[in-house]
Amino acid sequence: MTCSAVDPVKLTHARRQVFLAMFIAIAVTLHVLETLLPSPVPWLRLGLANIMTLAALYLYGGRAAWTVSLARVGVGALLLGRLFSPGFWLAAAGAIVATSAMIIVYRVAGRRLSPIGVSAIGAAGHALGQILAARLLVIQHAAIWQIFPLFLLFTIFSGILTGWLAAGLLEQLRQHPAFQPVADAEDSKAAEG
Amino acid sequence: MKTPWQVMTGGDWLIVICLLGISLSGIAWLATAPGGTRVVVTSGGQTVFSAPLDLPQSVDLDGPLGPTHLVIDDQGVRITDSPCRAKICISMGPARHTGDLLACVPNRILVRIDSPAGGEEPYDLLSR
Repeated sequence: MTCSAVDPVKLTHARRQVFLAMFIAIAVTLHVLETLLPSPVPWLRLGLANIMTLAALYLYGGRAAWTVSLARVGVGALLLGRLFSPGFWLAAAGAIVATSAMIIVYRVAGRRLSPIGVSAIGAAGHALGQILAARLLVIQHAAIWQIFPLFLLFTIFSGILTGWLAAGLLEQLRQHPAFQPVADAEDSKAAEG
Repeated sequence: MKTPWQVMTGGDWLIVICLLGISLSGIAWLATAPGGTRVVVTSGGQTVFSAPLDLPQSVDLDGPLGPTHLVIDDQGVRITDSPCRAKICISMGPARHTGDLLACVPNRILVRIDSPAGGEEPYDLLSR
């Protein structure tokens, strides 16, 4: 991208759009891949797509996180041909509760939490949202809450794993010129060139 | 890449420990719940099998994929064989407390333990 004459505000905006589109594409890929892997229980998944929601949250803020997570659920369901099926509502409810929870703790705690803590909260929110949706739509019996503690235990570890991967990704991305202020980035390019 | 322990802050640990506490206390609480007396198996919303928990027996229950083998013994009720692919229902182990649930989602088999009164169990985890 040799466009030093471009207005830095416009450049930042365009970069943000390009990166968010890439994040959504990667999130959809991870989501679809995980869903296609065999598993009899719709909710036992690692949730790797959440890495991209976390990256959007840390790099661009809450609205970007919503964009990535909702677009991921919508596009993923379209690709899998299960838009508005029970599985779709489970995924949507999980994503909505998880994203709300992650944005709230990120805003409240800020730097006191690494992506691992935010991801763990998101994973717990995801479990809660999914069980709520499953209670209402699939197994209309209060006994479904019996699996919540075990399910939560699993999601804590998957949340730590995705949070850790997100932390690694963020560390790499922040070294990339596109994530430094525009003027600095152009300077560093000039220095390299 | 840093290890998770290098990345985690004090706040992260607090969150993880709290969540672990909620999860483990939930599991412990469920484990101490009173023992139920009846095994009820439903498939697609209909009761297909019901038996007392203190009468050892084994039974085959037909689901869409084939027979799911259920064993009732002194440990409770467990699924010992099922035509599903991942066998999660088998790995769920035995159930014996009121409200316990074994589910084989692919084969549409839902096994639960009911209290003597039958019907809904006396509590659910939403109560405050």
